[in-house]
Amino acid sequence: MQGAYMNYAAKRLLQAVVVVLLTYVFTFIVVSILPGDPVTNVLRDPQNGFTEAEIAQIVAAQGLDKPIPVQLWHSLSGFVTGDLGVSLRSSRPVSDLIAEVLPSTLRLAGGALAVALVLAMGIAYGARFLPHRFGGAALRALPSLFLSVPSFVIGLLLIHIFGFQLGLFMVIDPNSFWATFFAAVALGIPISAQIAEVLMANLDHEASQDYAAVARARGLRQSKLFFRHLLKPSSLPVVTVIALMVGEVLGNTLITETVFGRTGVGSLIQRSVVTQDLPVLQAIVSLAAVVFAVINLIADLIYPLLDPRVKLVGTAPRRVTTADELPRANA
Amino acid sequence: MMISVTRTPRVALPAPLGVILSLLVLAVIVGWSLAPGLFTGFDPAIGIPADKLQGPSAAHWFGTDHLGRDLLARVIHGTASSVSSAVIAVVIALVLGGLIGLLSGFLGGWVDTILARLVDVLLAIPNFLLAVIIVTALGFSTTNAAIATGISAVAVFARVMRSEVIKTRSATFVEASFLSGGSRWHILTRHVLPNASRSVLPLAVLRFGQSILVIAGLAFLGYGDPPPASDWGLLISIGKDYLKWPWLVYAPALVTVVTVLSLNRISRWLRKTD
Amino acid sequence: MASQDGLTPPLLRVDGLSVAYGPNEVVRDVGFELGRGKSIALIGESGSGKSTIARAVLRLLPAQGRATGRVAFQGQEILSLPERRFRPLRGKAIGFVPQDPGNALNPVRTIGAQAEEAAALLDERDPRIRRAIILDTFAQVGLDNPQRVYDSYPHQLSGGMLQRVLIGLAVLPRPALLVADEPTSALDVTIQKRILDLLSKLRQELDIGLLLITHDLAIAAERTDAILVLKGGEVQEAGPTARVFASPASAYARKLHADVPALNPDRYAALRDPGFARLKRAAPKIEVSNVTKTFSVDGRNLTAVDNVSFAVPAGTTHALVGESGSGKTTTIRLLLGLDQPDAGGITVAGTPLSGRAPETLREAWRHLQLVYQNPFTSLDPTWKVETLIREPLDRFGIATPKDRADRVREALANVGLGEHLLARKPAALSGGQRQRVAIARALVLKPDVIVLDEPTSALDVSVQADIVGVLLDLQANLGLTYVFVSHDLALVRQLAHSVSVMHRGRIVEHGPVSEIFDRPREAYTRTLLDAIPSGLSAPQPSRRLAEAVA
Repeated sequence: MQGAYMNYAAKRLLQAVVVVLLTYVFTFIVVSILPGDPVTNVLRDPQNGFTEAEIAQIVAAQGLDKPIPVQLWHSLSGFVTGDLGVSLRSSRPVSDLIAEVLPSTLRLAGGALAVALVLAMGIAYGARFLPHRFGGAALRALPSLFLSVPSFVIGLLLIHIFGFQLGLFMVIDPNSFWATFFAAVALGIPISAQIAEVLMANLDHEASQDYAAVARARGLRQSKLFFRHLLKPSSLPVVTVIALMVGEVLGNTLITETVFGRTGVGSLIQRSVVTQDLPVLQAIVSLAAVVFAVINLIADLIYPLLDPRVKLVGTAPRRVTTADELPRANA
Repeated sequence: MMISVTRTPRVALPAPLGVILSLLVLAVIVGWSLAPGLFTGFDPAIGIPADKLQGPSAAHWFGTDHLGRDLLARVIHGTASSVSSAVIAVVIALVLGGLIGLLSGFLGGWVDTILARLVDVLLAIPNFLLAVIIVTALGFSTTNAAIATGISAVAVFARVMRSEVIKTRSATFVEASFLSGGSRWHILTRHVLPNASRSVLPLAVLRFGQSILVIAGLAFLGYGDPPPASDWGLLISIGKDYLKWPWLVYAPALVTVVTVLSLNRISRWLRKTD
Repeated sequence: MASQDGLTPPLLRVDGLSVAYGPNEVVRDVGFELGRGKSIALIGESGSGKSTIARAVLRLLPAQGRATGRVAFQGQEILSLPERRFRPLRGKAIGFVPQDPGNALNPVRTIGAQAEEAAALLDERDPRIRRAIILDTFAQVGLDNPQRVYDSYPHQLSGGMLQRVLIGLAVLPRPALLVADEPTSALDVTIQKRILDLLSKLRQELDIGLLLITHDLAIAAERTDAILVLKGGEVQEAGPTARVFASPASAYARKLHADVPALNPDRYAALRDPGFARLKRAAPKIEVSNVTKTFSVDGRNLTAVDNVSFAVPAGTTHALVGESGSGKTTTIRLLLGLDQPDAGGITVAGTPLSGRAPETLREAWRHLQLVYQNPFTSLDPTWKVETLIREPLDRFGIATPKDRADRVREALANVGLGEHLLARKPAALSGGQRQRVAIARALVLKPDVIVLDEPTSALDVSVQADIVGVLLDLQANLGLTYVFVSHDLALVRQLAHSVSVMHRGRIVEHGPVSEIFDRPREAYTRTLLDAIPSGLSAPQPSRRLAEAVA
């Protein structure tokens, strides 16, 4: 078991590294086929006021005159050694730009995940315990509703009600506690729906297993059945779901930060997209992939330690983690 | 010898009624896309400035915007673009993802290994971020936003298709067909594909709804067609600057939500009834 | 079946019990009585409502299930009891042994943790004493190393061990009534016998009343005092076991009796017996010589088939018999060329099949077909019956399209199905109909040899009897050669001409059916024969089938 686990961990680690490197290459290819020449688009932009000599210097310094594969090689080796390059627009190191806005985004993303988890558990466990006619059915329908509302609408709704109507926060002060809280709620609601769906499906699945009936036949009351028997096996897959959702949260900060007027990684992306600041985009996408890879690596490494059933044969344990993969009802 | 107790899964809504309502909603949406002129007499582009920012009324169900244009007319005329872009996105995701999953699951070996890494890469980049960089690369327009949304959903289809293909490929009836003289091509097209598609269809319907939301998100950020286009996301985006007249946000948002909700409901139903 | 003295109420009394799921009534007006320390069997086929009755008594019906009528436990009406007043009876007074031990314990908790739940029902405060009681119980149900079992997770034990654990947990709180829902149907025959012996022993030692749900009339006859025969949710016949078994009054009970292979070894004698003459005279259609196959599992080598040889004369049926893991399925996969042997040779109809790539075997499969164990997985759910049966003709390009349609109809008629089924998909067919379609698929090519991999084990006994009838008819009319894989020796005795008994990858004994069944030489063969429920009171360790049915 020990040897098997180390073997599995090593393989999984290697896989994560490979995925991150491939993601970097993929992003580079996508970004470098941008229509138009970034040199012309960005550097010759009159607003920047660079002279031709300065432009030539920047082009030489960044290697923009070299063939694409050579640029990729330089860029990739920089990334591996921790050098994220320099912004075309502001000429500042990309790592500085990201470091400035990261704390605000981490607060938002962390808050969103917490909100999502609490909401998801409330929905799933509430739907299990509340009788059908006292809202259990309504709770079951909630995730589907959450997944049907554009996240920016949720944000606008919250701003409208709690900002304008109730005056809990001012839109012009996006870093206040309540503004951050409601931004996290807006970001967390769609995430909570996905976690709740997996949680509910797993709970239903476990409750319909023979062992649940046998445990009840042993005289267990519903609450004991839930806490002792159903909670753990139905919650285990959530470890993986949360890891997958981290990517979702990072991507959606783009919209939430725009809606709430926050500065953060999302607004940095937005700015870089508009100004075609490629090194910044490349760095943010690659870092997002690193975060995603690391968190999923951790989840996959923890999972076998939590679930005694998992047999390690070099591959990741198989389990249902998204609603897409739930088995068909009568399959 | 078999358990004779059947368990029907509990559903939130009475299945037939909810599904019928959803199908009705879709029929209206399709009608709006194909023949918007049949559903509204107002011009979506030209308004009456005197009637600007009116609340919902019998004449203007969704009220009017800052130029005095009927909002319902704008929503109805924006439907075709919103719906067709979602169709493009789903078709791209379905065809590319389905093909990747099919090849990967059916051929296995090194093809599977290579395609699995490609799918891992697509999964590693946050979905919305992936759509954003692709639309940045292609240029801002609603069609490009649709293509980007489609590509960002390729991985989901590839994964589901692959696991369904692997499940079907190892099914007894596939070996039975092999013993009946079936070639690999015959097994792939006549047995594996029809069976694997049974789970992919509900996913496609679900993703259709999700694509509407993603494309609306891209339009909201200004990566779609500029005004006077009236895609639903764009309408909401314009409305957010007029939060004092909230129907400008909530009316197009409501249409979006009801549409996506209906698609989700139908997807669930397809998943259950098969 | 009246209560023993007329004063104390019976242990369990069921009156006019009906169970419905919505408008769909699955149990109708069922009544019976069970005295303390007595046993009763509810017997029936799938859909008979027998498990539903068990669940109604335990009040474990799914949420949509509605039970009406009266169920009195020790004189107390329990059907209308509020959940919180019924719950104390569960486990403590009424124990439950489920059907499939593999799913009946929580996979992420240790067996000990779940045993503590059962032990908590005892009035014992001291956790050390409770622990000792658990370990004692494990020993009592024949688990060799109670402490190791206590510390294990369910997936670390075999099915037989898990069923012992579950029986142990059910009897540990000393219930007065034990409800056992097909407790052995997921287990091998030899383990089935041991588990049933254990249940009988505990019942006598602990004076427990037993409500046994089973599909097997012979098991019911061996193990219980009274029998209740159910069909379609209604009682067909009820009475003391000896009476119902010896002289069933209802047509359905008589049919059930006639369909149990162990009780009617010569049912198909007229169709079967001409084949015995061919055993000596006919040329071998299939020759398997010294075949060995080794798999690598988790880095260890596992010899699934070890030096196996047998020959099957044309027009006869050869049975491969063994328990799960005995190598019988691997043997037929090698025979068909779906796997290649490491050593040894296989020849079918004079053509060598071993050592060839699967692509080159296509031609051989025109004459060599397989019918799978489970008709629920062997037919593509998206296809219609007509195309399913026609597929082999289309693939091999046999005959013109017009002739193909005729041959499909002919094959369908051969297996006794009507043409109205041609347009149906498998989901709209019963299990028996599906297996007939699967046989028709094999038949439509007019093959010489059909390999049958437990073709009836997923089906009810009455359906099994029909399928066996169809198979023997076809053999008599078309001169087919069968290789019949089974774990059921009684069934083999009914239809096979020669037998190979497999155990751990080897053939331990082989020969004509009469020899193996009447004069087994090997201890393992004898164990298998003894494990066949004969319908006579257990235990009878020395009695063999030949005497039992004489």
